[in-house]
Amino acid sequence: MPVKWLMHFQPNQGTTLTSQVMTEACAVAESFPGVSRDGRWRSSMTFYRAVPRDQSLPQPSDLPRDLIGISLHDLPNEFLFVMRSQRLILRAQSSVQTVIDKLQSYKGRFFINFEGVQYKWGDFKLRIGKCLYNPNESLRGIVMEVEYLPLSSMDKSQRVMEEFYEIWREAVASKLLAGQFINTEVNFSEYGLGDSYTPQHTAVLYGMCVVQVIASSNKNQ
Amino acid sequence: MECVVQGIIETQHVEALEILLVGLCGAPKQRVRVHELCLKSGPNLVSSEVRLLCDLAQPTPSWTIRHVGGAMRGAGADQLSVLVRPIAESKASSTALRFFYAIGYKLDHEVLKTGFAFQFQNRGANLTVSVTSTNRMPRLHATDDAVPITPGIHMVEITAPAASENYTEVASAIASFCEYLSPLLHLSKPSNSTGIVPTAAAAAASLMSSGGGIKTL
Repeated sequence: MPVKWLMHFQPNQGTTLTSQVMTEACAVAESFPGVSRDGRWRSSMTFYRAVPRDQSLPQPSDLPRDLIGISLHDLPNEFLFVMRSQRLILRAQSSVQTVIDKLQSYKGRFFINFEGVQYKWGDFKLRIGKCLYNPNESLRGIVMEVEYLPLSSMDKSQRVMEEFYEIWREAVASKLLAGQFINTEVNFSEYGLGDSYTPQHTAVLYGMCVVQVIASSNKNQ
Repeated sequence: MECVVQGIIETQHVEALEILLVGLCGAPKQRVRVHELCLKSGPNLVSSEVRLLCDLAQPTPSWTIRHVGGAMRGAGADQLSVLVRPIAESKASSTALRFFYAIGYKLDHEVLKTGFAFQFQNRGANLTVSVTSTNRMPRLHATDDAVPITPGIHMVEITAPAASENYTEVASAIASFCEYLSPLLHLSKPSNSTGIVPTAAAAAASLMSSGGGIKTL
């Protein structure tokens, strides 16, 4: 599976994120020579909460508060769970959501959708998208997923991805946006993941990225 | 949703049953070696139960998460000779057990089911007939040291996936197939076990001496 990096737009302190950033980021991508627009993309994330046996009491402290489920745009028949506190990932078929519903021990508390435009640029696929809080569709962040098609080894693709990252940051800087794109750094070995890229790597990236997106969104509100 | 019937047969007659099934099913025999873990939610969580099945018959163990719902009730369901129940299943990565422990589930019990199965079609329904011995483990997860819970007895189960639009037809397909097995064993709803049948020994002897010779369905 091709390697991916995931970046999010970090607004400057005291500024508010607007969808103008998305417009400008797309304009940057469209300015790359030979780039072509390649449709739209959408991934979604569910934040779960435990349902205690005695619902008059607060959630017990020994139950996880960071269980998230992810449906990825390129794997419509699968669903992945990430629990950062346990460095744990579960990859399953999308029917696992039915199992969780039937168990009734965990329910979706809120949802975030990642959706936007996809571009093809040589050996790269670029996906620029908004993070929208569901149900009120409020904008929480802007992300960019960069996929390098020829390589599935993260070590071997490190240099070319770093070069792309620099190209991207310089191009975006010229737009004088009030912030910058930050790459999501993860120690994948803590999750038991190796050098060969998998959907589990993507799930962990999104799990880490969304924490940073929400934190900067809350700080700047 | 699935339709299911169960029955028991003495282990000494399993070989005869296999001969019968080879002739009836026209499908290759599949080895069954499934480690089944039944997990229940801890005292803090809404009460629920989930099963994890680890298929050890494959070169690489594969995991399935399974939720079994309550039996369908009502006049229509009561008249059927098979049990109909909702099922939710998902294949999952090997982190499944660790995942459920992390979200507050505890191991209630575990068994190892060993034996064989046939998958084939009858009257448009996809049937799975499994003949297994249920084994307990003397130590946690010690599948290599498992011993039969009821030595001398094997369980036979027939299941078929179904939907709300066709469960009566699927139930009928199972019921008609059960007729072929009736000399050897009686299959019924899991709650209505009738034990071993008196004709089993004679039927088994007949099968062993003739080596089968029954036309495939």
